[in-house]
Amino acid sequence: MLDLAAVDSALALLTSSGTAWLFVIPGLLIGLFFGAMPGISITMAMAIFLPMTLYMDFLPAIIFLTSIYTGAGFGGSVPAVLMNIPGTSSAVATTFDGYPMARQGKHNEALGLALAASVIGCLASYVLLLFLIVPVSSVVLKMGPLEMSAVAIWGMLLLGSLSGNSLPRGLLAGVLGLLLGTIGMNTAGYVRGTMGVPWLLDGIPTIPAMMGLLAASQLISLVNAKYLIDDEASRKISFRRIFSGFRMTLQYPTIILRGTFIGVIIGSIPGVGSSISNLLSYSETKRNAPDGASFGTGNPKGVIAAESANSSSEGGAMATMLALGIPGGGATAILLAAFAMHNIVGGPSFIANSKDVVYAIIFSNFAQALLLLVVGLGFVYLAGYIVRVPMRFLIPSVLVVAVFGSYAIDGTASGPITLVVFSILGWAMVRYGYPVAATVVGLLLGSLVEGNLLRTWQISGGDPAYALERPGALLILALMAFSIGMTAWSARRRRRAERLADVES
Amino acid sequence: MTTNISRRTALRLASGGVAAAFAAPSILRAQGAYPDRPINIVVPFDTGGYNDRLARAFAPFLQERIGQPLNVINRGGAGALLGHTYFLQQPADGYTLLCTSAGPYIPLNILTQDATFKLEDFHMINLPSQDYTLLATSKESGLTDIADVIEKLKADPGSLSIGVQPASADLVNLMILMDANGIPRDGLRIVTFDGGGPARNAVAGAVVDIGLVGGEGFLPLADKITPLLTYDRVQRDNWGGKLVTDINGAEAAFVFGSQRGWGVHASLVKDSPDVYAKILAAIEETSKDPKVIEALTSQQLATTWYGPDESNAQLAASAKVIEQYLDLLKGA
Repeated sequence: MLDLAAVDSALALLTSSGTAWLFVIPGLLIGLFFGAMPGISITMAMAIFLPMTLYMDFLPAIIFLTSIYTGAGFGGSVPAVLMNIPGTSSAVATTFDGYPMARQGKHNEALGLALAASVIGCLASYVLLLFLIVPVSSVVLKMGPLEMSAVAIWGMLLLGSLSGNSLPRGLLAGVLGLLLGTIGMNTAGYVRGTMGVPWLLDGIPTIPAMMGLLAASQLISLVNAKYLIDDEASRKISFRRIFSGFRMTLQYPTIILRGTFIGVIIGSIPGVGSSISNLLSYSETKRNAPDGASFGTGNPKGVIAAESANSSSEGGAMATMLALGIPGGGATAILLAAFAMHNIVGGPSFIANSKDVVYAIIFSNFAQALLLLVVGLGFVYLAGYIVRVPMRFLIPSVLVVAVFGSYAIDGTASGPITLVVFSILGWAMVRYGYPVAATVVGLLLGSLVEGNLLRTWQISGGDPAYALERPGALLILALMAFSIGMTAWSARRRRRAERLADVES
Repeated sequence: MTTNISRRTALRLASGGVAAAFAAPSILRAQGAYPDRPINIVVPFDTGGYNDRLARAFAPFLQERIGQPLNVINRGGAGALLGHTYFLQQPADGYTLLCTSAGPYIPLNILTQDATFKLEDFHMINLPSQDYTLLATSKESGLTDIADVIEKLKADPGSLSIGVQPASADLVNLMILMDANGIPRDGLRIVTFDGGGPARNAVAGAVVDIGLVGGEGFLPLADKITPLLTYDRVQRDNWGGKLVTDINGAEAAFVFGSQRGWGVHASLVKDSPDVYAKILAAIEETSKDPKVIEALTSQQLATTWYGPDESNAQLAASAKVIEQYLDLLKGA
């Protein structure tokens, strides 16, 4: 488990150069800023600053880049809470309860919750990583398409709980999202539904579509409101209330633990990562909470669930990268490139040969997570002033930022066009009582579900007995069934208890 | 706020300014020798991939010789089709360079995606990285020789699941091997992955029985796989498995995986030979600089200098093989 000699030399490595630590705060700030800008991904932020690290020593370079990674992981949650725009796809579930909280004047608490849950999730994931890096990495490669399908289907259970008042409408919206998610070239090389537009070959650009559905549709329907928060007295920005969000987070250790666990596991699977883990954690928390019905209307537990999972995915992705040399996503690919610049090649031999470097990276991330608490607090405090901006300035500014952000993704008009199309779709859906969130989740999961089901069919040759060769997949499906069963059972017990209470009174 | 400038004057000033802004660079351009402003490098893939890393690692050294800053522009998507189209839309004035996996993506764009361009629209200056297909299996699979694989597939083409990327050079190479051994294509159990990374992970984790993927990317996973067949005439990266020429004879046909490197508009070569000569010299000098070779090798990036003649000939050759197997590439 823990190699104490390596821990010792890791600490020596970290304390050998004080200047290395100077890069943490700029890194966090860069990450927070880029993460909060919708459309600018963590990968993009890190790619921009990668060439700078060429001129640094190894340790400062890695500390700088991982600080950007950590900062950007949280940065995305700020616009999610304040404007219903997930800055990154990993903050989608944060919008579900964070934004309603902000509209009720609880923006301070919501941001405090998000920050504290992120910091704790990040810390906990690196603690897990410290002990589990080797076992986790041996599991990751065994994840076949059937296992991935099971994870994706688990994520889809969320569709049912996002449906609001009308289940058929919710499912319809979810199916629409799933179908939209299959547009483009599928994994077997067939092209569907692109209408001859080459920009759709890789599918609908998710981030602009998400911004359109969630944010623009919201803002259009807020045209008549004067401020984001109706009550003037609630528009205050207060450290005290942000801190009360911190305290509230600490009251739900189970939610954080569950979120962290889901985050580490899902985050370590290459190609899935934090954009799925926050949805899974949210959906599990909602189904297990006694007040599950109030999720989506500003329940603080929803924010905690989403944030603890998306920030702990960072630790999972780092585990895969360090142990196997496989980038789970764009951000870890950049980190691997930075490693390579300093003659360090990731992979199984890396952990064996350079345990001290691995521990040093993990320990420096502890420090980053703690500093994020401080830097993030200042960032959140300033960002909170958005609620004081009158809507007649806020709506156009946010729309302009959204258009620029969607353009920045690949520098073509396909982003802004997608944004506009999905804004109109989102507005119409809200107008006629269809839940846009279900469509977003469907869109995020569509290609994952389809690609993995297709690959399962290809591998098995259509033989259902293949499932018996994959105990991992059976285990995931059994866990899912158990979780649903438990929910149903506890819901029944609760109803019975309520009935009993009614009779007694 | 009050000013003495009337609206009309303001408009006139503004339009004059705009006109000046438009006119100025062209005047400068006419006077200054190439290059007098920053140069863009188009990478038709997202950040973090091989071409992106190559462009970003090479650029600082290249810009010292060119004398102007180089900006990397990522235009990923649709198997490089979008990026290649964007590159050709830029003026052929030497201010836009291309860093791409010319083979197999340019031929694939043309043959399978109805691209609006031709192979002759591109001119490759140097393609230093020639990735090769590696047929590999997981250490746990028990397969140790390509002969075992061929024997099993001959007995039952569906006996092994095979991981590849759709519409790839690797798929062409698989079919060349199958055809040469009389194994029917239809019965194969082919599993398609969205990228080289996922396909390699599936091989290493024994999710598929065998896989055909670009060999360089397998290096970090070397402990977890058994290499069985290298699609090249010589051993690469010390894998030590069989070569395609051992199995299919010295004249064995095969396609290189990715041929990556630097290109310009073909029209630049004809229309502005001076500019072209400058770019050519700068890339050649940079590629041969020992300092550059050391820096790039440490990042597992190639700098070998083949030159335009050999690079374009090799690209044309693999385009020809890809065309022969066209039916395979239109939807797996």
